[in-house]
Amino acid sequence: MRPPRTFRPTPDSPRLLQVRSADRVELWTETVGTEPSVYGERWAYSGSRSFRSFEPARSKLSAGLVRDWRGPVPSEGERWLYLGAASGTTASHVADLVGPAGRVFALERSLRPFHRLLELALRWPSLDPVLGDAREPRAYSGLVPPVDGVYADIAQADQVEIVLANAALFLRGPGGALVMALKTASMGRDASAPQHVRRAEEMLAPSVDLEPSVRLDPFHRGHYLVGGRARGALFEEPAGPRPTPRRARSPERSRL
Amino acid sequence: MGTAVLLADGPRLSWVELPSVRAEGSTSLGPAPVAAAQRYLALAGGELPPGVLSALRELPPTTSLTSSDPRWLASLSRGTGRPVRLASLEELRSARALVARRGPPDDRAFLLAVARLGLERALASPEEVLVSLAREEERLERALGREERAADAFVAVEGTLLAEYAPAWAEARGSLAHHHAHLVSLLERAAHEVVPNLAILVGERVAGRMVAAAGGVAPLARMSASRIQLLGSRRRPSPERGPRYGVIFRAVRMNDLPVARRGEYARSLAALAAIAARADATTRSDLSGLLVARRDRRVEALRRRGR
Repeated sequence: MRPPRTFRPTPDSPRLLQVRSADRVELWTETVGTEPSVYGERWAYSGSRSFRSFEPARSKLSAGLVRDWRGPVPSEGERWLYLGAASGTTASHVADLVGPAGRVFALERSLRPFHRLLELALRWPSLDPVLGDAREPRAYSGLVPPVDGVYADIAQADQVEIVLANAALFLRGPGGALVMALKTASMGRDASAPQHVRRAEEMLAPSVDLEPSVRLDPFHRGHYLVGGRARGALFEEPAGPRPTPRRARSPERSRL
Repeated sequence: MGTAVLLADGPRLSWVELPSVRAEGSTSLGPAPVAAAQRYLALAGGELPPGVLSALRELPPTTSLTSSDPRWLASLSRGTGRPVRLASLEELRSARALVARRGPPDDRAFLLAVARLGLERALASPEEVLVSLAREEERLERALGREERAADAFVAVEGTLLAEYAPAWAEARGSLAHHHAHLVSLLERAAHEVVPNLAILVGERVAGRMVAAAGGVAPLARMSASRIQLLGSRRRPSPERGPRYGVIFRAVRMNDLPVARRGEYARSLAALAAIAARADATTRSDLSGLLVARRDRRVEALRRRGR
């Protein structure tokens, strides 16, 4: 029989735990949900508490934490807006991290993954699914209250602009957290991945106190975890018109 | 000289006057989550509750009226008889902070109802029904093909347990084929309803797969012919050569041509398919006769050239 696991809380959050084995360190989250497992992750129980392994190969947030991400991490009791939740692999872990007193508003645009997200939310009390397009934040502004943090994993050419627009509307104020999993392959092939990250950082820098970006290879090729805490400038109306999204969606496709 | 902001706030529709809150109000969309979710989704279509409209009509004329959501502008202006503009980011943030101070209502049941209802409505549109059917048909066709190929390679040796197994398996394959035929008939109906021109031009199953791969009729209509030609292609045949076809390879009349002419046909057919998809997405006029004549003329020309 294997020796029992010892769960040690990390400095980031009491609900994010480390398990040290002989050869490596694993990340686990204390869960608010119930089995079955969401994407094949392992479950463990200790007394009345239950835990799920937080796999870096499956989740960009986990990969970032493994790579010593120093920026904000969802913590107990907070409210987060999650853009691009898909079927809820990472969103379920973010909902674990905020715990039963927190809320995660998980936005997804695609209908079929959203169905899985909805079914998941029924057994995840801190996960609230929102069907909508992150390009049109006002369309779901009635469903999402002011939040402590915005996490985004949206893989669009204009992902930085989309995240900024959402953060400006939904973050409670300066000091609010902004974390995004940046997919450089979506930003065009005219520049290398590090160049794209630099561009993204330049776009974010005036309105966000950035933490050092973290490269997620080899867990997620060409992805970076980027973000920090919002400055006051984020919430000011830009002098000119906001940069128009590079691929605006036509009105007939908006579903809500 | 205040500004009134109308905004949704969970299962409530609220308005606040800025900068000093001289007037504010809120209408519940209903105590039952499902009914409230129905009313919430109706807001986007411009159905604003009459109580809200009459309350906003009472505001002093110096107060300018703003809306948090661009979709409400027209009906709000019509319902109140006042000019309405979109709330600025700053106005909307202040209004949201004021509304949030009243304490968040326990709106999880409401959120889940909005999610469920919104999803069901979106999936019920004829376009999404076609996408669902096309995806099912593609998966089932693959399963059926796998079973048939396996059956071809299977020898049921008399006098063994294999001989007992084979007829049961054949029966299962037959029922799967029957199920597939039924699915195809449903798919054909859906395709003729949603993309009539395209369904006639390339065949119903291919039309359905094109819409599914594009993510809808409107995105398909915006695509160039070259993009349509490669829709659904998965990999390059070799490092030097790009793909020549995706789902269009299964289009009608493709099999009438020698292999060497199929790439050319795919290119021509994609150009016609782009026209058909645009007609289906916009004017809904019937171009199928014209397009089919062009398609068949092209097939005959390619056939004459031979391999």
